[in-house]
Amino acid sequence: MNTYYAANLLIFAGVDIIACIALNLQFGVSGIVNFAFIVFQAAGAYTAAVLSMPPDTAADYSFQIYFGGFNLPFPLPWIGGAVAGALLAVPIGLVVLRNLRSDYQAIALLVTSIIANTVINNARPWLNGAAGLALVPQPLQDQIDPATDTYFYFYIGLTAICVGLVWFMAARIVNSPFGRTLRAMRDQELAATALGKNPVALKMTMFIVGGAIAGLSGAILVGFLTVWAPSTWLYPETIILFAAVIVGGRGNNLGAVLGALLVPVGFEEVTRLLVNLNIGPPNFIPAMEWVLIGLFILGFLWFRPEGVRPEGHKVFPEGFESGVRVLGEHD
Amino acid sequence: MSILIAAFGFGLVSASVIALAAVGFTMQFGITNMINLAYGEVMIASAYIAYYVDERGVSIWIAMLIGAAFGAVFSFLINRLIYSPFQRKGTSLLGMVIVSLAVSLMIANIMLPIVGYFPVSYNERFSNLLRFGAIALTVNQIAIFALAAAIMVAIHALLRYTRLGKAMRATAANPTLARNCGIPTQRVIDAVWLITGALCGLAGVVAALDSDSFTISSGAGFLITALAAAVLGGAGQPYGAMIGAVVIGLITELSAAVWSPDYKQVVAFAILVVVMVLRPQGLLAKRGAAAAAG
Repeated sequence: MNTYYAANLLIFAGVDIIACIALNLQFGVSGIVNFAFIVFQAAGAYTAAVLSMPPDTAADYSFQIYFGGFNLPFPLPWIGGAVAGALLAVPIGLVVLRNLRSDYQAIALLVTSIIANTVINNARPWLNGAAGLALVPQPLQDQIDPATDTYFYFYIGLTAICVGLVWFMAARIVNSPFGRTLRAMRDQELAATALGKNPVALKMTMFIVGGAIAGLSGAILVGFLTVWAPSTWLYPETIILFAAVIVGGRGNNLGAVLGALLVPVGFEEVTRLLVNLNIGPPNFIPAMEWVLIGLFILGFLWFRPEGVRPEGHKVFPEGFESGVRVLGEHD
Repeated sequence: MSILIAAFGFGLVSASVIALAAVGFTMQFGITNMINLAYGEVMIASAYIAYYVDERGVSIWIAMLIGAAFGAVFSFLINRLIYSPFQRKGTSLLGMVIVSLAVSLMIANIMLPIVGYFPVSYNERFSNLLRFGAIALTVNQIAIFALAAAIMVAIHALLRYTRLGKAMRATAANPTLARNCGIPTQRVIDAVWLITGALCGLAGVVAALDSDSFTISSGAGFLITALAAAVLGGAGQPYGAMIGAVVIGLITELSAAVWSPDYKQVVAFAILVVVMVLRPQGLLAKRGAAAAAG
């Protein structure tokens, strides 16, 4: 096992963990079924790319067309990626989260994801269309040579710091009174509203926070891959993350981390091994991988909807109504 | 000006295709309370079944019937084996959306190694051109229009005048009350999945015939236009879906004529966003996408 392989594995794991924590904050804790999650990751990646790349008139870059090209030093592109994810969440959230029923929110976001990909794919002048962006500069590549082991260790360290920051922030949110409010809204929106909580404002907040984290994960990914194209953010990528959060345990940050390690990372590695075996037609193994992810989702929703690591202690295990009953018995 | 009149003709054909898809989709939602995101994939699977029959030298119109039969049986089985057990288990509406998305993903990827990535087309995709002033349509397109019009009348007759149609409307309005009145709601729901599945399969073949070629990835586009028409008309409302289909069919074809055909789906999406912001309950709905009601 060489350093490149290990770095690849660890950095992908870090990005998936960050993404799963963000999705868990939205889907697990707040009950927002964000089927457009991958769009926010893509927004972060594209933003980080155009912020760090030179203008498309520069030598070596003239084979692609994109707007901007600001040549900014690290860490500005990563911060820009997170900001872009947050900013994108505002208009989408205002349309989707305000006056739609929750299942409609989910399909509206799914459609948004498919259409955003179609638009970026067909419109070449903005972000180089279907071919995508290439030769994205890596963070601090002028200081450390990206082809060396030192650089891999450096990048793993950067990713780890981001995972730590995101974990810390998510833990603070989940364990705070604000986190309790979010769970109350998720379980009993009407009751939470009756107690004076504004569900639209709460959902918007989490949509923006999750969007920012997703944007950061995209920035980390594009800095390592140096390429980004519409084919890397098709809507099924969001479903993998959903599978991870469902398998890991909805509402539990540790579960989200576990899910990230089991589903996206685990599947990636297993496929890498299986592809070498040459079973069936060329696209058979990747296709079966997707079928298996679908089966994972159905299986967990059927047999163990709370996931491997359930959310944890609840005062009223059966939800609000049993809570009322329990309270009634004390009277 | 004549380009707009020609686009109007195409718009009517598009509207026919969308109406077939949207009416089935919206009836599934209205009567069984299921937002079936696998609808587009069932459409494309039926289109491929018809393609393989067509390849054997059978006429496309017979292949279309086989595609519709396949869609009916396939939808019925998906409901019986997956959706219905999850619904009985008490899975939330949101949970069911995730379930149907997982099913959609699985259908697409089970098909992928069988059909491959390459676009295919039916043998009969070319037919004679007929002219009515500025409108020029092929015989196939006129047949599609006539077929869709006939099916819409049949759906109207089914819902209005038959015992089954009345039972369907009763089940949609209040399943518990319908069951207590002696309506066998389980059998009604089975019938709904067979009928809407047949519509779905038919719509898949017709959509594939209307576009010159199709691939495995066309399913998402089929789903989006059907969804847009259903939401525009008010989800769960068959007549709303018909109106929605006409509006979306005409607007997308007119925009393709004056702007670019690459962005047909984007225009459908823009209509969807406007509806969701301004009138989330849709044009006709008593209940719809709006929040609050519970």
